Amino acid sequence: MRGVQRPGERTAHWALMTTLAALLGMALAGVPAWGADDDAVQLRHKELLASTCFACHGVEGRRGEEVPALAGESFRVLRAQLLAFREDEVPDTTVMNRIAKGYSDEEIEALARYFSNLER
Amino acid sequence: MEQPRINRRQALGLLGAAGAVTAMTGLGVPMAARAGGAGHVVVVGGGFGGATAAKFLKRFNPAVEVTLVEASEHFYTCPFSNWYLGGIKEMAYIRHGYDELREHYGVHVVHATAEDVDGDRHEVRLSTGERLRYDKLVLSPGIDFDWDGLAGYDEAAAEKAPHAWKAGEQSRLLRRQLEAMEDGGLFILRAPENPFRCPPGPYERVSLIAHYFKQHKPRSKILLLDAKDNFSKQPLFLDGWAEFYGDMIEWVGASQDGRVVAVDADRREVETEFGTRHRADVLNVVPPQKAGFIARRAGVTDASGWVPVKPQTFESTQIEDIYVVGDATIAAPMPKSGFCANAQAKVVASAIVSEFAGHAPPPAVWNNTCYSLIAPGYGISVAGVYKVIDGHIAEVPGSGGVSPREADEAFRAREAEYAVNWYEAISEDTWGTRFRG
Repeated sequence: MRGVQRPGERTAHWALMTTLAALLGMALAGVPAWGADDDAVQLRHKELLASTCFACHGVEGRRGEEVPALAGESFRVLRAQLLAFREDEVPDTTVMNRIAKGYSDEEIEALARYFSNLER
Repeated sequence: MEQPRINRRQALGLLGAAGAVTAMTGLGVPMAARAGGAGHVVVVGGGFGGATAAKFLKRFNPAVEVTLVEASEHFYTCPFSNWYLGGIKEMAYIRHGYDELREHYGVHVVHATAEDVDGDRHEVRLSTGERLRYDKLVLSPGIDFDWDGLAGYDEAAAEKAPHAWKAGEQSRLLRRQLEAMEDGGLFILRAPENPFRCPPGPYERVSLIAHYFKQHKPRSKILLLDAKDNFSKQPLFLDGWAEFYGDMIEWVGASQDGRVVAVDADRREVETEFGTRHRADVLNVVPPQKAGFIARRAGVTDASGWVPVKPQTFESTQIEDIYVVGDATIAAPMPKSGFCANAQAKVVASAIVSEFAGHAPPPAVWNNTCYSLIAPGYGISVAGVYKVIDGHIAEVPGSGGVSPREADEAFRAREAEYAVNWYEAISEDTWGTRFRG
């Protein structure tokens, strides 16, 4: 699969990830929503986790220039994308595979939830 | 609201936090009770660590009162100062101010020097004579140079042989010297022993000065005299130098007599450990370093000259209610980078806000992504994700690492783009700086 992907075709990655997200749909159905009943510690944990992404993806993940914006992207796509980075399944990745390997399933879900809840 | 669900480690942390919250302040009232879940935080230093701490304290809880003490009205970043030296970016690009903190976040910004800290009285004394009382103090003092650590190299010598390791006037001085140097000249950079600010910095610097020489002074040479035998991203730098600059850059490690032990700034001459003397046309000395002055005054440094901190919160291990972030801290395996200072500041802000509210701090997580430019369109990186593991800061196993050595041109070009993206994103995150065009 790597052979048919060309460098720079980032939109292709997102299309691929959308498909992947659809395939993962059943697994995702079992994920508990982490929303209104957040206690303060969990909320702050999620904010803190997400804030480490700002240094490249912009404040609240809104910088959509050389790197993709994260704010307002769907939960499923974000989660699938991060999991795929972690498994080295995204062709032409430079650094996100190295970073995603530092996060647990729960942290990846929290990150995806945080950014998907923001407006674009 | 539900009771927070906490595990054993968090419960232990909560006990510690509760202990601190009930510690009496000078007014004899527990601080959280007095401040109604908030309090006054004084932040000293307006670099990546301090400005981020001030901003995120306000982001996490706008009711927290925050005073930022910073001597200068503008901050010049070390990141991208090498791009300035190489003629790729203007000085204005690396200059940042405090308008967003003041106007958007309601941070009190005081332009003064913090001269002393009284940890018992919870007071900071400023150069204006004013005393600021704090519930929590965040120090982001950066580095000072150890002027006793390298024979012949002091502040006066730095006016002739610049360090340019705090950006601003020193960067301008080095740039002017490079511009005045004739083609065929020798540029020498003295690289320091570990630990020091920005581990890949000296190697990016010679890369971008080589880029400048290649365009304007192609017969010139660069000698990099190193106090170490290994350096950050070494194979990637060596590959890149060979590809772009041929034999223009010569690196000499410590065991090949690269360790500079004395400097004669008037003659632009250095002497190495085994007695070799090298004379430069432009001499750049990156001296040995230690935590910034105010950390020493506050009494939070140890015998190493750096600041030991509690991993989970970056509170000083030595003085309660003083938190320290950035290059001044002992945070290995996290490097002394602007990215780490920014990440540490967010952890500190969340810990302080949580403690004011009577909660355990959320589990700390930091990351680092550090780009170096070897030539325009050719970037490399190192990344890491860090957590507290068994009571110590540790890189999450399997995460992080450097760009692959076998990567193609397109990969290097994207990392060069991402370097600029990173700089602009983190500058906005830290100071609110917006870039156009």
